[in-house]
Amino acid sequence: MKQVININFHGRVVPIEVTAFDLLKNYTESLNRHFANEEGKEEIINDIESRIGELFQEKITKGATCITDDDVHAIIKNMGRPEEFEAMDDTQSQSSAASSSSAAQEQSAGSNQSTGNKRLFRDENDKVLGGVCSGLANYFNIDVVIARIVFVVLLFSGIGFLTYIIMWIAVPSTATTQIGGSRKKLFRNPDEKLIAGVCSGIGNYFGINAWIPRVLFLLPFLSFVSRWGHWGGLWDFGDVLRFTFSPTSLIVYIILWMVIPEASTTSEKLEMKGEKVDMNSIKASVVEEMKGVGKKAEKFGKDATAVVTEKANIVAGDVKNFARRNRGGLGNVIAMLAKIFAYFIIGCVGFALVMGLFALAIVSIGYFPLKDFVIHNDYQNMFAWGTLIFFIAVPIIGVITWIIRKIARSKSHGNIFGWSFGALWVLGWVCFILLITSISKDFSYNSKSITEQEIMLINPGINKLEITSKAPLDRYNRRRFLSFQPFSGIQEDTAYVNNVDVRIVKSTNDSFKITVIKMSTGRSRTIAENNAAQIQYNGIQKDSVLLMDKGIAINKTNKFRNQRVVLTVYVPVGKKIKIDRSISWFNNVHIGSDWNNNDWYYDSDEDPNEWKPGVEYTMKDDGKLYDINGNSSSRSSNKTKVNINSNGVEVITNDDEDNYRYKNTEPVNKLDSMKMKLENEKQKIKDSLEKAKQKIEQQLQKIGENAEPVPLSSQIPAFNLMMSIN
Amino acid sequence: MNIDNTASQMRKGVLEFCILSIIKEGEAYPSDIIEKMKAANLNILEGTLYPLLTRLKNAELLSYRWEESTGGPPRKYFTLTEKGAGFYKELESTWFELANAVRALTKTEQGNIDNNNFNNP
Repeated sequence: MKQVININFHGRVVPIEVTAFDLLKNYTESLNRHFANEEGKEEIINDIESRIGELFQEKITKGATCITDDDVHAIIKNMGRPEEFEAMDDTQSQSSAASSSSAAQEQSAGSNQSTGNKRLFRDENDKVLGGVCSGLANYFNIDVVIARIVFVVLLFSGIGFLTYIIMWIAVPSTATTQIGGSRKKLFRNPDEKLIAGVCSGIGNYFGINAWIPRVLFLLPFLSFVSRWGHWGGLWDFGDVLRFTFSPTSLIVYIILWMVIPEASTTSEKLEMKGEKVDMNSIKASVVEEMKGVGKKAEKFGKDATAVVTEKANIVAGDVKNFARRNRGGLGNVIAMLAKIFAYFIIGCVGFALVMGLFALAIVSIGYFPLKDFVIHNDYQNMFAWGTLIFFIAVPIIGVITWIIRKIARSKSHGNIFGWSFGALWVLGWVCFILLITSISKDFSYNSKSITEQEIMLINPGINKLEITSKAPLDRYNRRRFLSFQPFSGIQEDTAYVNNVDVRIVKSTNDSFKITVIKMSTGRSRTIAENNAAQIQYNGIQKDSVLLMDKGIAINKTNKFRNQRVVLTVYVPVGKKIKIDRSISWFNNVHIGSDWNNNDWYYDSDEDPNEWKPGVEYTMKDDGKLYDINGNSSSRSSNKTKVNINSNGVEVITNDDEDNYRYKNTEPVNKLDSMKMKLENEKQKIKDSLEKAKQKIEQQLQKIGENAEPVPLSSQIPAFNLMMSIN
Repeated sequence: MNIDNTASQMRKGVLEFCILSIIKEGEAYPSDIIEKMKAANLNILEGTLYPLLTRLKNAELLSYRWEESTGGPPRKYFTLTEKGAGFYKELESTWFELANAVRALTKTEQGNIDNNNFNNP
């Protein structure tokens, strides 16, 4: 009976008899001694060991339970002992060795054909630090020195450093583990588990008691239970980020559960326990790694200068012969740069996608409490949850899982993961689309009747009216980690929507008059009318101040359906009007495309005056408002209008000389003159449009300066799909 | 004077030339090289091949790339560098001269070497 042990030999777990292992160890030690003074000693021994590992692998795949003494003897005979290298003794070929070797050869030839695509490895035999550059160079078929120069250049920008570290961690090496030494791997421990063996596996990995990670996982959970009543904290992202918010530890546990493979075979259990990873072993390996770095770096410096001069010569030559021959150093460099550029772009796009996903998640979780103000039945509610979980959460968990798996280099059941995540995400898409279509139906019809309802003023004959909002705006989530603007002031179960437009027009008599037009959408015309009728928007006059409601009240029975109010203020000539910012603060909320004034049977552009909130105006005889300095607030004074009708085209800008008119009535006789005219007109149109564009841009800039700070959500384009904020 | 020693010296001299000529035909994995040499009835120990390849590589006559292998670390595949090709050309001409000289001197039937078959004995 012989004892069999598992060793990790050049990236392969090999079961081997103890005696055979001793033979092997002696053999490699003799090789070490023999090549002690040889340049590239590590590489030679590495190659030989790698080949031995391959032969072992063949034995095991052929059905051998373990490597025996005989196997090792045969391999050593084939490889030759160091003494034999010296003598170069090869009397006659050993028939047994030859046959075994040729059999092995067939196998390796077979496996060669099945390997098509390249994989990225760090080259342990040709490295300065971690072998990342030589691995990349090998992958892209370029000179390693170029890869290094690129990295050194990138190093100064900071990106290179991070990239190098990440690649050092993430890219597998061509493996040079010491014989017999087993590298530790993170596994879940099925022998000592409470739930899934995650904590126990972590304990094994760091050589600590399994209860330490368990307590670390449990502590936040206990605090979560004790804070059960404080669900408001669910939306506090600071807590989530600080890990004190307990479900995070739960999520981390579940992710680790999915990511870390279970140690099911004996060799995996051996790998799990491995040799202890403590500061000493880390230090030892770091010292080992760093020993050659100085020397290697120096050599690299020499290589670099040599290659640079060589390449420079080639490039110079290439420039001369470029017309004739497009190959050589320059071509390689260009190809490499193109590849690097392509990968960079792909990386950026991927990064942006992931970040966009996270932003979408944060925003949608932030808005999630608002869903009850929109959603009207259980189906929509279900779809909303489905969207949140499957459409948003699943890809995020998927991405995190993928990254961790990539780092942990776990290979098992990878496809199942991909498929199940994909299936769940498809489900999420279905939920999302159903939700959107269902909700959009609720907004498909506009109310039709435009009836002005008068708000009764106690004393309409005053000289000055100031319109302001009842309560200062208390915006939703103002104190939170993130703030969301569109729904002003959520109080208990009621949100206030500030969709209020104000028109100021000249009154026909000498008293103030205020009317309200209510509009809404709905699943049908009748529902839309009904929704509009249910809008409550009133005001109370106190002396010269009219206190209006702070917004249109939306609650869980009176859902949000793009309710909108147009407040028309009739101002008598010679009297003063001032409208506070709180009435209409340019943050209208609506779902769907922009306000379409035709749908509402109302055109706000007809409003002749463009007033600013918080400014006192006086109504003049011509129906225009003038501020204290006598400046007209007339809209036409700084707007460009394009009128197209049966009479022709008219472009009116601020400056009179740029105005453009084309009248149908003008006679046009000759074809040539028509053409010339057309060209002329074209140029004119172009010019005046250009001017108009500039004007509009200026105007927009002005508005941008005046308006509230842009809410976060408007910076995320994906969100505009559902809701656009004016 | 030891006959084995002399024979081994002779063989050693042409070994590099043989390896380079195998690699010249195309990318080669070390055990491919061993196999081809065996087929040509030139037997060497696998253990002696690796140091030789490493030396040739360090002399920049050879370069290698990693290729993925099924189940295990990747393998090294060797190719001739430009310098290696030049080196091979020189060795080749030297070999012609030497072989012709040896044939002329020994005048045996066996030493019937010419340009066409010296490479494929």
